Amino acid sequence: MKTGRLIAIVIAVATVALIVVGTVWPVPSAVALAGSGTHLLSSASSAQAAVDTLANEIGGQAWEKAYSSLANKSEFTESEFVHDLTGTYPSLRTYATLDSFDLRPLHASADEAQVQLKLRWSTVVGAFLDTRTLRVVKNGDRWAVLWPIVKEPRVPPQVIPVNYLRWDVIYRGPEDDWGSQDVEAPHVRIVDMHPVDRSGGVVIMGELLNEDVVPAFVTVKATLLAKNGSALASEDSFDKISHVLLPKQVTPFLIAFHDIALSDVDSVHMEPSATLIAASADPVIGIEDQRLNPAPGASLSGKLVNQSGQVVNVAHVLGTFYDKSGQLVWVADQYVDRALLPQVPVSFAISLPADIAIKVSTERAIATTYSSGRFQ
Amino acid sequence: MIFLAALVVHLPLLLMKLPLKSYDANFHIFFASHYLHNWFDPWNPKWYAGFSQTTYPPLPQQWLALVSRLIGLDMAYMTIQFVAILFLALGVYRFSLLWVDRRAAAFAALASVFLGSECFLVYSAGQLSTTFAAPLYLNALPYLSQWVRHGKWRSFLKGGTLFVAAAAAHHATLLFGSVLFALPVLALVIFDHTNTDRKNTDRQEGGRISVPAFLLRTGSIVVIVGAAVALVLLPFWIALIHYPVTQTPIPHPSRANYLLSPQWGLNYFVVPYGALILALPFILLRGSSVPRLRPLLLGFWLAFLVGLGGTTPVGRMVLGRAFDVLTMERFSYWATLLALPFVGLLATELIDRFQMRAVAGLTMAAALSCALAVAWATYRPADAADFQVNTVASWLNRDGHDRYRYVTLGFGNKISRLAVLTDASSVDGEWNSGRMLPELTQFGGGALTSSKYFGKGGLDALSAILHHADRYGLKWVFVKDPYYEPLLVFAGWRRVDDLEDKTITVWSREDVAPAIPVNAPQIPPRWQGLMWGILPIGSSILAMLVVLIPERRWHRRRAVEPSVAHENLVLGRVAS
Repeated sequence: MKTGRLIAIVIAVATVALIVVGTVWPVPSAVALAGSGTHLLSSASSAQAAVDTLANEIGGQAWEKAYSSLANKSEFTESEFVHDLTGTYPSLRTYATLDSFDLRPLHASADEAQVQLKLRWSTVVGAFLDTRTLRVVKNGDRWAVLWPIVKEPRVPPQVIPVNYLRWDVIYRGPEDDWGSQDVEAPHVRIVDMHPVDRSGGVVIMGELLNEDVVPAFVTVKATLLAKNGSALASEDSFDKISHVLLPKQVTPFLIAFHDIALSDVDSVHMEPSATLIAASADPVIGIEDQRLNPAPGASLSGKLVNQSGQVVNVAHVLGTFYDKSGQLVWVADQYVDRALLPQVPVSFAISLPADIAIKVSTERAIATTYSSGRFQ
Repeated sequence: MIFLAALVVHLPLLLMKLPLKSYDANFHIFFASHYLHNWFDPWNPKWYAGFSQTTYPPLPQQWLALVSRLIGLDMAYMTIQFVAILFLALGVYRFSLLWVDRRAAAFAALASVFLGSECFLVYSAGQLSTTFAAPLYLNALPYLSQWVRHGKWRSFLKGGTLFVAAAAAHHATLLFGSVLFALPVLALVIFDHTNTDRKNTDRQEGGRISVPAFLLRTGSIVVIVGAAVALVLLPFWIALIHYPVTQTPIPHPSRANYLLSPQWGLNYFVVPYGALILALPFILLRGSSVPRLRPLLLGFWLAFLVGLGGTTPVGRMVLGRAFDVLTMERFSYWATLLALPFVGLLATELIDRFQMRAVAGLTMAAALSCALAVAWATYRPADAADFQVNTVASWLNRDGHDRYRYVTLGFGNKISRLAVLTDASSVDGEWNSGRMLPELTQFGGGALTSSKYFGKGGLDALSAILHHADRYGLKWVFVKDPYYEPLLVFAGWRRVDDLEDKTITVWSREDVAPAIPVNAPQIPPRWQGLMWGILPIGSSILAMLVVLIPERRWHRRRAVEPSVAHENLVLGRVAS
């Protein structure tokens, strides 16, 4: 009986100990699934711990907990705090999930600290980075974050007249599949194309012009051919292009091939394709304060202004960069994580590699858009 | 009586086709539908642009396909599942008899009908293979015990064929069952041997065996069953060796820490265990105080700890990389099966002591456990949105649309049902271990249709596959969740149609050539197809025939009473 009791005690104690170990030092899969649950183990005993806890709560969408832990919560409502992070109107932020975050202490004293928080959000079109510099203050024996709230502007009720071009297409009948058209495809032409060696692969960039008087839905496909004429690889421009081209519009494109050396490539076969589509010039997106910022941290920055009367949920900015001789040297892009409200400027910044930035003399930016419930 | 209870509890639920709402039921039906039309060709072109069904043991799905010829796939599923439930009650009774007396074993079998984990796996998880293999395995274990104790060839044959059939139903059950179930049974044989040897009693049962005989009998059944399993599932092993599961692990909530993620603790601990949680102290105290129950307690404890997922480091330590591949709820299921003999004991003692009050209490506890687990499929449904995919299938099957591949977004586990209904091929699927496309294996996402739930990994996989749409003949995307629309718009896809009252939109790319077969190196040769179509199902038919051979009563087994248990334990104190 003594042995039995001993076994029971050993099993019970071992089980409790294993649970404690698994909770204090959780396995990676448990950490990934816990999200804000790891907060159980966190504390606000230091400035970094307080920011770490807050970031975990944001990642787990534990808004109430996160808001209640803030030192300056009296300055804004919980709803404003949530809208700061997820957007007031549906946008990339609204359905983003926190992929990871980094903390970097900038300054610390006995009762105040400054910590940089980099939140890496994952969205359907890729990741975006939200960097906040947080002040953390000590209240008693606990640290609390002063959240630098960014309040999205509210658009006052108003009437915005719109006057834009629109092209409609009459198809043969409702039973016809899209693409099986009996009209000639719009005329498009590649006006520039450069293959370059980049990051252990080949990048092909260029520009495509719609020469026609009707809108075109365009894609560009490239096939790399070896010296013996065989195809090495084939890729298309995917989202590194503006697929809808109005008459006489030009779009940049970029096609990336990974793990292929330019020296192995003999020639490139380009296949632009175009299909007639119904399109409109609305919404018109203006670009203001466009500026090329030098290295370090070279970027093309500016502000997008939605000149139409409808909300644009996602905007995609494509930047084309030229050297002094007007040669195309780079194509880059950025998705804007906040919705574009009518007449409200929203900043963007397209990063440039440092070695490219020093060659750039001029640049051009265009924006394409997505509005929910409305298709291009 | 126990079968009648199973009939009363489960038959109405199965006739209502409740398991069709579970996570995996349609997955098994999809596999079965392939066997139905291509019995000897395990290459299924409908998922992942083609994958081999030899990557998953086929027995329940093959039986499902056979029965479906009479009553259709859905009802065949319910029939096979019901048979598995009946077999489980029988298996638990026979397994429990190794440890406890007939009365307690009968209560254990009755408890299996109401077992939360069984209901959870049947109605919420839809794990047909696990719930089909476990009863076969439990029924095999008493034969293992008899073979090792008495060396009777009939037991060897019956046990061996049942083990092989269990492996043909679910290889993991045999693999882990060997440690969790078979080792305790072998330990029991040793215990009973030493015990009878010391007390010099019970020799008339042939209970005494020599060490060489024990080793020889154990070794022989391990070797021969191992060889038979290797042969019966040879195409599976070949596929596993040639194409090991090296893809980036996919997160699964059963690997969570249930304290840090209480919602998963509720899902994977409270619901499967139900009222068994109240019996845990009894299991611990009785299992440790009765020497011959200790092997069973240790088996239970190990399964219990692994079943806790990431709550303890045990799962990761014991399983290694397999921890990130397997799901942990099956360990909880096995733990509850191992706990049932204790539950039988507890029930007998409670009823002896408290009579009708105990009967009422136990009935209530069993009913609540069962009800919670069955209802869980409604409270936490696999698919929050209930919608039909028939119109999507019709759309794909007309006007040559099925010459191209498709992918769905926001369809959840409806993709299995859609795959059953359509002739078209998809680049997506629900059998992650069977996929070979590099775009799907390198990012750590699960099914593309649920990409957003896998975070960056899932969305990267979706983006990669859309990037190579023309490579795979991927022309159609069916969207139920507008979340994905921005990606499609910016990546050059265009909306071409609406279905289901505009709740499903069809998107297309123009410059895509019709689909051509891919993954050619993974296509199993014809001889493997023949083996796959004959041996697994053949093993189960052989097991049925062999088990039907009448037993020769060479002894009347005396159920060993766990009399030590009564020495010092006051039940009321233990249970409180």
